Amino acid sequence: MSHVKSFLDMRNVSYTYPGWPAVVQGVNWDIAQGEFHALVGRSGCGKTTLLKLAAGLLPPDAGTVYLGGALHQKPGPQVGFVLQSPTLLEWLSVLDNVLLPLSLQRKPTASDRDNAQALLALMGLGAYSAQRPQQLSGGQQSRVAIARALMLQPTILLLDEPFAALDAITREELQNDLLALCRARQTTVFFVTHDIAEAVYLSDRVAVMAQGRICLDLPVNLPPVRERQMRYSPQFNSLCAQLREAMDGGPEHRP
Amino acid sequence: MKRHQLYAALLLIALLLGWEWAVRAWHFSPLVLPAPSAVLAALLRGLSSGYLGPHLARTALELALGLSAGCVIGFASGVLMAESATLRRTLMPYVVTSQVIPKLALAPLFIVWFGFGMTSTVVITALICFFPLMENTLTALTQVDGQRLELFRVLGATRWQTLWRLKIPCGLPGILAGLRVAVVLALVGAVVGEFIGASTGLGALIIAAQGMMDTPLMFAVLLLITLLGLTLYQLTLLLERWLLKPYQR
Repeated sequence: MSHVKSFLDMRNVSYTYPGWPAVVQGVNWDIAQGEFHALVGRSGCGKTTLLKLAAGLLPPDAGTVYLGGALHQKPGPQVGFVLQSPTLLEWLSVLDNVLLPLSLQRKPTASDRDNAQALLALMGLGAYSAQRPQQLSGGQQSRVAIARALMLQPTILLLDEPFAALDAITREELQNDLLALCRARQTTVFFVTHDIAEAVYLSDRVAVMAQGRICLDLPVNLPPVRERQMRYSPQFNSLCAQLREAMDGGPEHRP
Repeated sequence: MKRHQLYAALLLIALLLGWEWAVRAWHFSPLVLPAPSAVLAALLRGLSSGYLGPHLARTALELALGLSAGCVIGFASGVLMAESATLRRTLMPYVVTSQVIPKLALAPLFIVWFGFGMTSTVVITALICFFPLMENTLTALTQVDGQRLELFRVLGATRWQTLWRLKIPCGLPGILAGLRVAVVLALVGAVVGEFIGASTGLGALIIAAQGMMDTPLMFAVLLLITLLGLTLYQLTLLLERWLLKPYQR
């Protein structure tokens, strides 16, 4: 791993919530510009905390986080964050929800509205901009949440199990759209999930986390353009099996 | 008109007719139970002679002043206490104590402090309205979903923006429920305040009618108080519907 090219660079990062055992312990991880990395692990392994450290939402107890070569200490417009649930505001229209990150900084102009409308169109929701979020399906709400995260044109997108509550087919559609969008914009992505197949399908590299440490760093050497048939290929399955094995027994459990 | 509204109207007519009939059939003294026709006559006489007008205006004014003062102070304290845990822990025992004391028992003291008349009644009304607004605002603002707060943190929102653009809009339905309770309580506060501390106003008029043994007038005043209360409640519902319009589908 060269640190020269890396865009997000976490070095020896640790975090402990007061009164609890360490959640993240000495993690090293770096993501090069435009790469899509996934982080998998069981519930409570510290993956969400690691993502928050990457976002600058939590200050690390030890170690450093660099973003684009600079020390990263506070969330800012360069970071797009998608939470576990869409968390759209029900008193705002879909368009105003997408504009929220911007309207917290300044009054949106006509061209900002056009940008938001274009983002919604890109997510296949161009006709829904005047609706209320509660009129949309779960998958559509997740799309709005992604459009909102992209509103300030972040250089890095951090996602925390954004599709966990969706049905399998909707999830596949969203995965494809997310991949296409991030490729087109050269966005760097760090994607947290507990779904092994999702991690393999989306990523260039997968990290497995167990008990606060990265226990496997697996490059995904599938063709860069992902297609549905790949999900059933032997190569895909062997990658999934490797991840599964790492999740079953972290380094601590190995004899 | 919908069917249940028709039934409600028919029931009212039946009750009034039954009351009128019972009074005539059993020759009740109008001192005990005046007939609806006598009450209506007293009401029309009072309104046309201009006798009831100033009293109604006074009570309405006291209600408006007490309700606005109580609600503004209640809302502001709710916001302050929701935003500052230190303030909440320090002030809560005092607020609860002030609410446990029956406000009407304080009326004689208020007469000593603020004099006999409008100020005392306004203060009592405000004190009664204060609590439901403060309590509901405090509860609504502290129960905002953690994921939404996280979202605003991710977006780098200031504390002020989180309050005005997230917490208050999120808590608005709860705050307005507090307002509805306050409106109903305000009328009780104003009328009972006038019982003790005023010579003008519908409450004072009930006491005066009792002294004059004018029971039809008493009923007429009760009718006015009821109408005032219903009007105010409907206005509150309209305000609520208007404010919550963006929340509906």
